[in-house]
Amino acid sequence: MTEPAPPAAGAADAAQALPRPGLLKSAPMRMAIGLVLLFSVISLLSLGGTYLVLRNTFDQALRDDLRQEVAGFRAAPSAAALAALVEAQARVTDPDRRIVSYLAPDGRAYGNGAIERSEEGFRIVVFDRPNTPVRESYLALTAGLHRGQLTVANSRSQIDDLGEMFATVLLLSLLPTVIFALGGGLLIARRTARRLTAVEATLDRLASGDLAARVPELPGRADDLTAIAARVDRMAEAQQQSVSALRQVSADIAHDLKTPIQRVSVLLDRLQGNAGLDPEARELARRAGAETENIVATFQSLLQIAQIEGGSPRSRFEVLDLAALAATLAEVYEPAAEEGGRRLVLEAEAPVRVNGERRLLGQVLANLIENALRHTPPGSLIELSVRESGENGGQAVLELRDNGPGIPAEERGNVLRRLYRLEQSRSTPGSGLGLSLVSVIADLHGATLELGDNAPGLVVTLRFPPVSPRPLPRGKRTGKSVS
Amino acid sequence: MKILVIEDDETTGDYIAAGLREEGHSVDLLADGRDGLIRATAGDYEVLIVDRMLPGLDGVSLVKTLRGAGSKLPVLILTSLGGIDDRIDGLNAGADDYLVKPFAFGELSARVAALARRPQMRAEETVLRAGDLEMDLVRRRVTRQGQEIDLLPREFALLEHLLRRKGRVQTRTMLLEGVWDLGFDPQTNVVETHISRLRAKVDRPFERELIQTVRGAGYRIDD
Repeated sequence: MTEPAPPAAGAADAAQALPRPGLLKSAPMRMAIGLVLLFSVISLLSLGGTYLVLRNTFDQALRDDLRQEVAGFRAAPSAAALAALVEAQARVTDPDRRIVSYLAPDGRAYGNGAIERSEEGFRIVVFDRPNTPVRESYLALTAGLHRGQLTVANSRSQIDDLGEMFATVLLLSLLPTVIFALGGGLLIARRTARRLTAVEATLDRLASGDLAARVPELPGRADDLTAIAARVDRMAEAQQQSVSALRQVSADIAHDLKTPIQRVSVLLDRLQGNAGLDPEARELARRAGAETENIVATFQSLLQIAQIEGGSPRSRFEVLDLAALAATLAEVYEPAAEEGGRRLVLEAEAPVRVNGERRLLGQVLANLIENALRHTPPGSLIELSVRESGENGGQAVLELRDNGPGIPAEERGNVLRRLYRLEQSRSTPGSGLGLSLVSVIADLHGATLELGDNAPGLVVTLRFPPVSPRPLPRGKRTGKSVS
Repeated sequence: MKILVIEDDETTGDYIAAGLREEGHSVDLLADGRDGLIRATAGDYEVLIVDRMLPGLDGVSLVKTLRGAGSKLPVLILTSLGGIDDRIDGLNAGADDYLVKPFAFGELSARVAALARRPQMRAEETVLRAGDLEMDLVRRRVTRQGQEIDLLPREFALLEHLLRRKGRVQTRTMLLEGVWDLGFDPQTNVVETHISRLRAKVDRPFERELIQTVRGAGYRIDD
């Protein structure tokens, strides 16, 4: 009685696996992305600051240089002397580095480049070089001299290079960080995801009632996740123990009460047989005996459920003809149904193979038929059908329909619970274990149990897993109807 | 009949022994499995009733050992849990019948009687008789006082089962096992309705009832 039962088939699918967010939304991945962003911002700020300071220094140096140059030209005594000086200077100056230009008052231009400016002071000048996309920028200082205009412009390429250099540095420092952080994050996220999957799968199994589920050995070193896994296991262990203790107690109670009940039953039997008993007392003894039988039946069912749940071996399974078995049961119950004014009809023509235990499947059929007989008014039609369905026709389907009051949709899950009885059926005999036993036996056979609406009435459907192909012995055809 | 009962629960053991003695059997009651095995092999008992759970040696092992020693003593195993496993284990070990506790005494008594007379079954019989009723197994015909009685196949099987065990009580579960090969206790009166249908054809048109109800136990056909 240690192995807990899977949930009743067809009951509410309460324990389905919940979807987990994608890898990008997992905690390690979010952390990695966050760190990358933070690091990028810090890098941008510090490199940007350094760049600005350096550029400023460069810019200042350029300006000082230009002022000095212009100051040098100011020493020329006349416009002609200045023009000569500019020409001389221009000859030895690379225009890529520095442009010296003098616009004389007579309109002539001297120097290694012509920069025409209207106002004085510093100014950034950009040349669009032909045939190249490169834009050369210069810092120009213009001063009015001898009624002409002297402009000295220094290339800003150094400052521009500085920007490029810093951009490169930024890229070189950020790119590996991004790659390694994101890659690492992804790896950790995937590894964590694998470990989480193991924990989650265990939790799902536990939630679905499989209390024997334990978290498998997690790959990798012990960490917070393994600690959680250990706690999950401990919780499951405790739960399993209390459930099995509960089962054990109920089985023990049933077991311990069997002997005294047997004695009561024997005593009542003898009392009934007492010759000196007046008819009234004899009737009381008979009724007491009948009640005792009901108690025995309830205990029997409880113990049987407990034993099947406790892992009844499937080694006793054999391939059998469910249609023939249904025909036998229909035949057994048909006179009783007719006596109660009900009609029991069988629909089973060809043999239908299932893998199972005959005695238990007989019990399933008996419980279903008895359930229908008990909960339908006289005049009801009860249809028992066994057929094959599924793609290859290999799936056995057993169905019992009645046109009685049925079971309200919201109660259908409940009636599979042990000892549960519908309010309206409390007046009819029965232990409330019949359908629970059916459900447990269905589980053992890997069959799904569904309760549905026959509009009006109840339809109980059992779908068995397909049997590996092997022909049934011949001559096991069953009759169409017994009613 | 000499019967050995091995049952460790004193009260149950006493009940069984007292009930069987009342029916005129000679009963020895033991509580230990090992003692029981020794007595069973040594004594000249006709039936052995043994509990599944016993101190010393459990019922299934006891039966296995007994069969291993070549004993053909008819054995009825009493199982406490209403379980399939116990039943099949018991029958596999070589027991002839089983009974689940708690049981009505009538059930036990009927099964003990059935066990004791098992070898009487003669396969070559072709005509079964009870009083003025005759069943021809070859021609599948039933007549009473020369009048032919029309029976459905399963009614025929039920009557045949009772006739082959003439004079012996057949309980509801024994009939379900024997006629329909079903091993469970139904909650509704399925067997009763089959019997009453059979009676309607076999007994009602005639003065005397052949199929008798044995109170608290089952049914029996008599001459």
